Amino acid sequence: MSIATALGLNLLQLAFVAGLAPLFRGIAARWRENIQFKRGPSIWQPYRDLRKFFAKEYRYAESATWVSRFAPYAVCLSPLLVTLLIPVLTDFPLFGAFAGDMLAAGFILGIGSFFLTLAAVDGGVPYGAMGASRTRMVGFLAEPVLIVILFAVSFVANSTIPYVVQQQWLSPPTHFFSPAHVLILFAFFMLIIAETGRLPVDNPSGHFELAMIDESKVLDFSGAPYALLLWGSAMKTTVLCVIFTNVLFAPWGLASTPSAGAVCAAILIVFLKIAILLALLVIVETSVSKLRLFRIAEYLGAAFVVAVTAMIAAVLAS
Amino acid sequence: MILFAAVAAPIVAALWCALPRSERAAPYVVASALTASLGLAMWIAAQTLARGSVVAIADWVRVDAFSALILLGIATVTCSAAWYSVGYIAHLRPTPRRLRVYYANFALFVASMLAIAVCVEPGLAWIAVELTTLLSVLLVSFTDTREALEAAWKYMIITLLGATVAVLGVLVLFWAQHAAGGAPFTYAGLAHDAPHMNPTLVAAAFGLLLIGFGAKIGLFPMHTWLPDAHSQAPAPVCAMLSGVETTAVFYVLLRLLALFQAVPRLHADSWFAAFGAASLIAAALLIVQTHDLKRLFAFSTVEHMGIIALAASLGTFSGNLGVVWQILAHAITKSVCFYAAGIVTLVAGTTEFAKLRGLQQRIPLAGSVLLAASLAIAGAPPFAVFLSELAIVIAAVSAGKVWIACVVVLFVGIAFAGTIAKIGGVLFGRERSDVHANDAPPLCTAVCVAAAVPILVLGLWIPTGLGMLIARAASVMAAP
Amino acid sequence: MPAHAYVPEINALLCGLFVLSAFGMVIVRQVAACLSLFIVQSALLAASAFLLGSDPFSWHLFAVGCVTVISKPILIPWVLRRLVPREVYAVREISQALDAPAALLLALGLALVGVSLGARLAHAEPLQAPQNVVVGFASLLVGALVLAVRREAVPQVLGILAMENAAFLAGIAIAPDFPLIAELAIAFDVPLLAFIVAVLTRAVYRRVGSTAVAELTMLREHTP
Repeated sequence: MSIATALGLNLLQLAFVAGLAPLFRGIAARWRENIQFKRGPSIWQPYRDLRKFFAKEYRYAESATWVSRFAPYAVCLSPLLVTLLIPVLTDFPLFGAFAGDMLAAGFILGIGSFFLTLAAVDGGVPYGAMGASRTRMVGFLAEPVLIVILFAVSFVANSTIPYVVQQQWLSPPTHFFSPAHVLILFAFFMLIIAETGRLPVDNPSGHFELAMIDESKVLDFSGAPYALLLWGSAMKTTVLCVIFTNVLFAPWGLASTPSAGAVCAAILIVFLKIAILLALLVIVETSVSKLRLFRIAEYLGAAFVVAVTAMIAAVLAS
Repeated sequence: MILFAAVAAPIVAALWCALPRSERAAPYVVASALTASLGLAMWIAAQTLARGSVVAIADWVRVDAFSALILLGIATVTCSAAWYSVGYIAHLRPTPRRLRVYYANFALFVASMLAIAVCVEPGLAWIAVELTTLLSVLLVSFTDTREALEAAWKYMIITLLGATVAVLGVLVLFWAQHAAGGAPFTYAGLAHDAPHMNPTLVAAAFGLLLIGFGAKIGLFPMHTWLPDAHSQAPAPVCAMLSGVETTAVFYVLLRLLALFQAVPRLHADSWFAAFGAASLIAAALLIVQTHDLKRLFAFSTVEHMGIIALAASLGTFSGNLGVVWQILAHAITKSVCFYAAGIVTLVAGTTEFAKLRGLQQRIPLAGSVLLAASLAIAGAPPFAVFLSELAIVIAAVSAGKVWIACVVVLFVGIAFAGTIAKIGGVLFGRERSDVHANDAPPLCTAVCVAAAVPILVLGLWIPTGLGMLIARAASVMAAP
Repeated sequence: MPAHAYVPEINALLCGLFVLSAFGMVIVRQVAACLSLFIVQSALLAASAFLLGSDPFSWHLFAVGCVTVISKPILIPWVLRRLVPREVYAVREISQALDAPAALLLALGLALVGVSLGARLAHAEPLQAPQNVVVGFASLLVGALVLAVRREAVPQVLGILAMENAAFLAGIAIAPDFPLIAELAIAFDVPLLAFIVAVLTRAVYRRVGSTAVAELTMLREHTP
């Protein structure tokens, strides 16, 4: 495989994440309404939103510093950087596959949310500060879960490089049903819900500022920066879904050769896998109600316990 | 067949109690059935003396001298408890339905205790132990007061917790034996295979069984439920719980002791000694400060379990002799203590020391029995418990474990002082006029006096047959 | 891949879910949810018995599995539902002895202790399914924690039953040839346990007005 092909495939992966992220968001929004027997918005609505916001004039608060101006770029760039590290379409390592492991991916995503949190406080709006502190609370509780999941992964795969990890679950195929694998999936699923601000942790479609966690941080933004934030958060969701479906679930359907046909098939199959995961998320979201803020600790505590159990299972099996 | 008959007699009586409109005769049917069981138990004991053992189903149901003695103790105490119940329960005036349920439950509970003694397969013995808990819970809560329900709940939760731990112990034991050899899964088979068993597994089984059954026996620190349950239940039930249920469960542990002693580096003896000493010391200190007559006798049970554990830890023949004798003496003495305390409950309506004074004038006969039984259980001569405790102290000294002898003498002395001071206050002095007064049912007093006779007799003279049975039991305890 | 190659992995997965259900019983607040978790746990136990009994084939474990299916997930909940007043199941325990995160951390610590104990035993002699022993010990301790943190009568008893499940999860691995008659008797004394508990709970409910048994603390040794 030539460097050009590898670079091309890498760019294709970036394009996949950046281009389809709004679509995934649109699909989830539509299904959420459909499942409640409502029509729901078009699945293309996020693209229209982005076009509208990019065209609009924007303002920053008078007290805002460079942090507010930089935050949208950080939010938008961090998922794209992570995309370079993870197998989105191919199951063979590409350019940058060994530049960082899953812990690095977690930290890079963390940079985005760090700047967003700072920006929320930076604007001087009270809701922003409230949302920022709540996000930090969820973040503090979610981080140990991620770390323990990574421990469990490393016990199984002896590595945390995504391209290495993904091969472990099917060699031999019985490994797929090992308790470590299933419990890791379970814990990471709970983590995705918390990290992407979905029910039962946060209600993304709520309009009541006092109850918001994630949404209240971006109240202060408008125009193109707001569009970047929307896009960035959609990409973050997509990246987490890719990690779940391709790295932690199974490398099924990924292209194993750099041929055009294999890559096209991979695009289709990965799209389907993510869509199935989104359907699952939507079902969970519509069947639970939002937890009170202080019960979030219990929710993430449960996720932590699942992760630790996975780790114990991994240690015992090895 | 005779073994099944002894266990089946109370079950038949229980079925009879289930018939509608049987409440008039139910007390007498159960009491007669238990008298029949006592007769059968005596016959079984005689048979074991003559033939060494009575076998119903090989490797499952079998009685040797040790179990015959336990069987005899259980049958004696439950028989007197049944006759005592006739007067006592009628005095509480339960509804006909409750009365029938009580006697049916009573008889089934007795059957489960007898089953512990006749089963030689640890799995079956565990089931029998679990059944004794389940079948006695509703007896403890019989009076249906808030306190009785609380006591029954604690009793059930802690002993079932212990039973669950113990079942894992039994399973691990089975595994250890299965991996080691081909002898059947019985007490004797286990002792036979002991040298080949994996010591890690046997140690785990020992820990689980000691904690599990220890909770049911009332060894410190798992004794917390015991004073509650043994003080809130009706007096005849207290007598059975304290007098024989605890020792029946202890019997299972003692049967397995030979196996555990055969495993090197397990130090089963030291564990027994530690738990025994802790129970004895804690109980003696609690006796001194207790405020309730029945609780005092309950703590005394913990004390005696501690003494038995200490004696068993000696591992010598004379120590085993002390164990067996102590079990028997404790059973007959403690039941009389509770019968007398039951009469106090009926007469004065309370068992709190603060409200009891000068009862000797009101109930001269039962009061004398209470005094005698308290002296006896505290270890005064010339009663049966004195002899058994003396035997244990001598055995400890001759086994070279002087500290055990010292602990026993010191803390039995403390418990003695506490018991006698409190009981003296109950019986003597000027009677309080604000305590409402009832008459004692004559049948209760009669049973109480009759049951007190063996305490004194066995302290002065041991029948030849019984002496031989005790000696035989002590020798099979070491080598089943 | 032949089908029986999956047996150890799926059995291990059942064990993992088993211990998770024990954790769940520590923290769920609704009494009814606790009962549901117990049903799930019992079903997992039965599934593990069937699985271990399928390879190599063992009538014995199949019988144990069948008895478990009948007595634990079906008979016990039926008895408890029927005899205990319905209001009890709607109770939410607001005042547990410990708050949920603390209880969970404690449960995790206990589970780790159980794992280290169980792991030491599981490799003492060769076993087909050592993970059952490890998980059995861990769940036994977590079940004991349920007893300690729960205040309501029914969850306390479910804690004991969960411990019993844990003991038998280890049991089907370490003593698959345990005398069937004893196994049957044990399986059928568990519904008796449920019956006695239900009767007692009903009596407590009638007399005290609630089933918060942890608040029954009349009996204690008070120095005058």
